[in-house]
Amino acid sequence: MEFLVAQLSGFSGSLTALVMDPVTYFYLIPAVFLGIVFGALPGLTATLAVTILTGFFGNKFPLEYSLIALIGAYVGAIYGGSYPSILLNIPGTAASAATAMDGYPLTKKGRGGEALGITTTASFIGTLFGTVCLLVFVWALLLMSKNIASPEKALLALFGILLSGTLMSQDLVIKGWIAGLIGLAMAMIGLDPILSEDRYTFGWSYLLSGLQVVPVLMGAFAIPQIMDGMRATVMVSDMPQIGRVVPRFREVFRRLPGISRSGAIGTGVGALPGVGEDVAGWVSYGVGKAASKESKDFGKGSVDGLISAEAANNAAIGGALIPLLVLGIPGSPPAAALLGALKINNVIPGPTIDPALILHVVAILVMASLTMFLMGLFTAKVFIMILRIPQTVFLPVVLVLTTIGSFSVGGGINDLFLMVCVGLVAYAMNVMQYPIAPLVIGVILGGLFDETFRRSLLISDGDLAVFASRPGAAILLTLNILLILSQIPFFKRAARRLTTKRKETP
Amino acid sequence: MVDKSVMRARDFWTALVLIAISLFFLYQTSLIPFFQANAAGVQGRWYNSAALVPFGIFSGLLILALVLLAIAIFDGGARQAFSSIGIGYSPSESARLLCISAILAAYIFGLVPRVDFIICSALVITALIWGFRSGDRTAMATATIIVICAAAYALLMHFPRAEWTKPHDDDIATLVAFVLITILMFVRSRMLGRIDRITRLTPMIAILVPALLVIAMAFGFRQNVPNRQGLLFSKIEYHYYVNIKPLWSNR
Repeated sequence: MEFLVAQLSGFSGSLTALVMDPVTYFYLIPAVFLGIVFGALPGLTATLAVTILTGFFGNKFPLEYSLIALIGAYVGAIYGGSYPSILLNIPGTAASAATAMDGYPLTKKGRGGEALGITTTASFIGTLFGTVCLLVFVWALLLMSKNIASPEKALLALFGILLSGTLMSQDLVIKGWIAGLIGLAMAMIGLDPILSEDRYTFGWSYLLSGLQVVPVLMGAFAIPQIMDGMRATVMVSDMPQIGRVVPRFREVFRRLPGISRSGAIGTGVGALPGVGEDVAGWVSYGVGKAASKESKDFGKGSVDGLISAEAANNAAIGGALIPLLVLGIPGSPPAAALLGALKINNVIPGPTIDPALILHVVAILVMASLTMFLMGLFTAKVFIMILRIPQTVFLPVVLVLTTIGSFSVGGGINDLFLMVCVGLVAYAMNVMQYPIAPLVIGVILGGLFDETFRRSLLISDGDLAVFASRPGAAILLTLNILLILSQIPFFKRAARRLTTKRKETP
Repeated sequence: MVDKSVMRARDFWTALVLIAISLFFLYQTSLIPFFQANAAGVQGRWYNSAALVPFGIFSGLLILALVLLAIAIFDGGARQAFSSIGIGYSPSESARLLCISAILAAYIFGLVPRVDFIICSALVITALIWGFRSGDRTAMATATIIVICAAAYALLMHFPRAEWTKPHDDDIATLVAFVLITILMFVRSRMLGRIDRITRLTPMIAILVPALLVIAMAFGFRQNVPNRQGLLFSKIEYHYYVNIKPLWSNR
């Protein structure tokens, strides 16, 4: 109880400071607006919004203000993806793909406004749910993380990459793992973290400090979108009539249990390292279909289905920030971009993080979700107008944005060369249906994995048992092994036979 | 969604590329001291070596690439990997990708380091909007050629880093290319029918977006911007510090 009171008083102090500072609104309102626009325009993603803003703010602005803009854009973009999903059946972001399943049928029935209103409310409550979980669990995990040493960190980083590769693969799971390994390999470039040995620099001094995170993120997420999206498109001329957007209180109250369930699922999935909002949306949609009274209407225009996807993907934001702040392991690709912003501001997330920063992040999340809620309800028509802009007009603008953003972060022209090279590789991987998220997570966590893995061996004098002798490490090692085995056909078949036998046995 | 058999044929080639890459990097890793890693006062042991994790990564990549190759062969990918239809090759899609890649490479490697950012971005924005919006193949080819010509001039005439900022002949050449592409866009649109709203707005978007961005980055966000000595930006910067900033600054 004492802990809860202390938490709430710390949080209220941070929130009051944020609310009373007029500069907050100067950053927050444009950032949330920009985020919603990025989410609403198909082809632009939440990760790209956060990455571009990271490039703009760099380390020239106080981190407290940069974070307002970055988190505001993150929250706005995850929500903004619902607009084209509901109105045009085109998911604005991967996170809102599940939203289209029921959102578009509702629009076809002439209930587009109602769908937008309930989506906005569910997203708002979902974000708040994730934020409360962040506030509570981050401290418990921070206390636990003081016992986390190098072996656990190495295995957790590996688990994040493997899990991301497994869950994000559209084709073969092996492709997700290959993408993760390519990311890890990219992180090996430069001086190694323990002996400062030169690795794969081929005599180019720029590579000595390793690959910069922001150009890699921009290359991986912007260039493939530009290359894929620049094709002849028909302009959307007729937008469906949407009607009243503000939802009825009674309707929201009736849907609260569904929103809370989806919020819990979203936060849980978001907290898994490297997984993110899109998986959260689908998992919650699946659970919602099994649990809802309206399950037979799922896919035909069910409000419960809509809520399941939207509350979860926004709740995943708070969840994704938990491993980021506690361990420095991002829970989603946009959180990876946020980690890049923290790194260029010399903030190392983990047990030594400044507690005031965590409370500041929580307060920003609350403010950002409130701003998103108000903008969503009262300026929806503005975002619908923006949907009319064809990809071939805004993608060249995005190219210029990413170029200047990537250039400004630090490395100058070499960062642009890196961005293009990574972008071309990422495009080729997209064509071959390799997920990009594990690659990015691999690049981000590669340094941590290398350092902690070798440090564990150094401490134990080369004894590999160090990865199994500590309880936390043993659990993580088991999880890693189980994750790999679960994807091998022989073990899959054996597990299936086992479950079938168990069902047959009376 | 790409057909599964086409995907397996592509996987066949990807697996071969991945095998080659992992073998190359395994060789490169073997050049990093493994068993005699004596550095920074640390005694040489296998677990000290900077090559340890990379060996694991590239060995893992090699194994996964072999598994992918096996999957591709068992699923019939190898059989159709040698025909263009088998790998899903489309000439029109390849031409589109080639043009975008060429414009992208010309912009990043040729223009941005050497030419004023506002001018070169205006050229590229116009080329991309005009060349790819309507699916007009003549527009796509013409736009690509103009961007490549401007980049080739900048690259060939001012290749060394010392010549990236001055003189401004490459800035002027790119400006001419921008004017030319804009005129061609209007003429071609007129020939094909009506000049629509996006065509009319394109030159404005092309100039205003990079101009506002570069001004915001340089003076608002106080960030580094490409080619500060460029033809237009050097003038903007001069007037900002000499005529505008003194209005509110005491210095």
